[in-house]
Amino acid sequence: MTEQFAAVPAATPTSGTVAMGQVATQTGEPLLRLDNVVKYFEIRGGLLGIAHVGDVRAVDGVSFEVRKGETLGLVGESGCGKTTLGKVILRLTPATSGEVYVKGRPIFKMGDREMKEVRKDLQVVFQDPYASLNPRMTVGELVGEGLYVHGMKNKNERDERVRELLARVGLNQSHIHRYPHEFSGGQRQRIGIARALALDPEFVVLDEPVSALDVSIQSQVLNLLNDLQDQLGLTYLFIAHNLAVVEYISDRVAVMYLGKIVEMADVNVLYATPRHPYTVALLSAVPEPDPRRRKKRLILKGDVPSPAKPPSGCRFHTRCWLRERLGNPEVCTTDDPPLRDVGGGQLAACHFAEQVTAQAAADSADRQSVFESGE
Amino acid sequence: MSGHVRVKDLRAGALKEGANLLSVQDLRTYFPTQDGVVKAVDGVSFEIEAGRTLGIVGESGCGKSITALSIMRLLEKPGRIVAGSISLDGFDLVKAEESEMRQIRGNDISMIFQEPMTSLNPVYTCGDQIAEAVSLHEGKGHRSAWEHAVKMLHDVGIPDPARRATQYPHELSGGMRQRVMIAMALSTDPALLIADEPTTALDVTIQAQILELMKGLREQNKMAIMLITHDLGVIAEMAHEVVVMYAGKVVERSDVNTIFDHPHHPYTRGLLSSIPRLGEKRKRLEVIKGVVPNPLNLPKGCLFQRRCPYAMPICSTPPPFQEVAPGQVSLCWLTPDFKPPAVGADAPAQIAEEAAAALSVAK
Repeated sequence: MTEQFAAVPAATPTSGTVAMGQVATQTGEPLLRLDNVVKYFEIRGGLLGIAHVGDVRAVDGVSFEVRKGETLGLVGESGCGKTTLGKVILRLTPATSGEVYVKGRPIFKMGDREMKEVRKDLQVVFQDPYASLNPRMTVGELVGEGLYVHGMKNKNERDERVRELLARVGLNQSHIHRYPHEFSGGQRQRIGIARALALDPEFVVLDEPVSALDVSIQSQVLNLLNDLQDQLGLTYLFIAHNLAVVEYISDRVAVMYLGKIVEMADVNVLYATPRHPYTVALLSAVPEPDPRRRKKRLILKGDVPSPAKPPSGCRFHTRCWLRERLGNPEVCTTDDPPLRDVGGGQLAACHFAEQVTAQAAADSADRQSVFESGE
Repeated sequence: MSGHVRVKDLRAGALKEGANLLSVQDLRTYFPTQDGVVKAVDGVSFEIEAGRTLGIVGESGCGKSITALSIMRLLEKPGRIVAGSISLDGFDLVKAEESEMRQIRGNDISMIFQEPMTSLNPVYTCGDQIAEAVSLHEGKGHRSAWEHAVKMLHDVGIPDPARRATQYPHELSGGMRQRVMIAMALSTDPALLIADEPTTALDVTIQAQILELMKGLREQNKMAIMLITHDLGVIAEMAHEVVVMYAGKVVERSDVNTIFDHPHHPYTRGLLSSIPRLGEKRKRLEVIKGVVPNPLNLPKGCLFQRRCPYAMPICSTPPPFQEVAPGQVSLCWLTPDFKPPAVGADAPAQIAEEAAAALSVAK
């Protein structure tokens, strides 16, 4: 690891105060920092189809930090911008504005050569293990590709490293000459993970890494990700929509809605006392594997609004149960609530975050009594 | 034709609560391939009563979707039902003519699929597609069929249904499309709804809406539901009875509370302990080691033995289908309290076979 850091040019703008790697953690600089990241997709229209008629606000001003060695879970419904955010962080798609800092260095304006170095530290595992592996490449070529690109031209040396990686992710080393179609979904995801680990990265974006897998395979892959984190000191951004999986794997969790972070806190705090009405609703919607706890859920009305035309004020107000309970206060439709500390480092973007817990309990009691009298 | 008239008529009054609407007995659906015969469904039996929900759980490739397609008689070649019976209120679907099946599909049995886009026609409006089903099966004229379509869209909770009926599938979100498909499936008031992973592609908030909707319709129409899913949370939420499938066989069957409280089959136990649950902090998840066996190379005897923490020598003899508690059957050699069978863990094959026959409940 230390050799890698030595290869990074010392004369970076922040290097005077913040050094790299191990030293950085001691001084408190996060591994990754997002500063007001915005990603709009332009909508073209008009007679010739070139006039700029609007924007899809996929990511709309996201700021957070990921500390070394932790797992930050990112949850939200489809279309909330979580995958786009992951791609912006990796510079797989250019941001509209804002900045991402990796170990204190801004990466959006880096040149190709410098970026190539940074990319070694930033890797990604995609959702679909069937689509993300080139069917014409063997496992050896797939996992070794990054090594070749980054200068390991000797094939024997490369194969040696690939074998080591395969063993690490629980695959048979003799599989090195096989093709992706010869593997099951869970094994392919392990290949994807081995590929991501080839360059010894510090930070891995896991974009729905287990949602395409069978239940019994999911737990194998989740355990593997945990083990690798312990062994290699990895830092994860874990993007998923399954709240139970996110709770299991994460240290902190950020909840995203229509391009914005609406709540962020330590995993235990967020799941025990959610302070944003959207988080409350998400948690209530999860069906529990316990038939004796069938409950009358808090059901959100309608779908997520279009990110091309997000609602005014608080973006959640069109589906908010809390706003309804509070008699539809006007501020929700006029003012966009900032993400603020609501106590103990828990961040929530709601004008009425202080009332969420009590109102959720009252709401649940109301629903339960309606449920029981109706039965 | 008889199938169509009969179930509808019976449901109007005669079909008693508690009577079996669907009874599948020893169903075997095989796919002959160049490399050998894939026994996708191999001796599956279950019943569904009117107004009840049967959950079928299992991983991909366990045969749950093929079971559904066998019931609908929509198997693709070279798949073929080679044995068994599928009785819809006494009418054997396995022996039914294709013309009879055409009457039964949509009328008596409807099916919804995981991915709505593959089952909606992109060049017709949603209203047209539902109206077509209605006029085909109920013999309604275009106008009254259209009105019925709009009413169905309203019933499944689509806001502004009159406008949505004039829209094409691509103009709707995933949750909306799923509702359109449900509206279409329910527009003919079927006696049985087969739902194959109906909410798997949806977000939890939309899933909660759809499950609530299905529950409401089940109450209202006394419809039976066969719910296929790998999500044990959805099963716990919806099902009355549960069938667990593994590699083409039913490995455990019981009411929903028993399955979650006292699962017997090691596969069921493995599944239940390997899922992360809300509000439960664990350092490590339990895992079921290994992968589902290759259908062309199944182990001799119990199909789960290579992954089973309890595997014994006797497991190479096909295990008995035992009643381990009242109403709970498990395809396993273990006694109800997880001990090796009375004949011993390493009984010779012949003795084991006799013991299996003695322990098994009747098919």
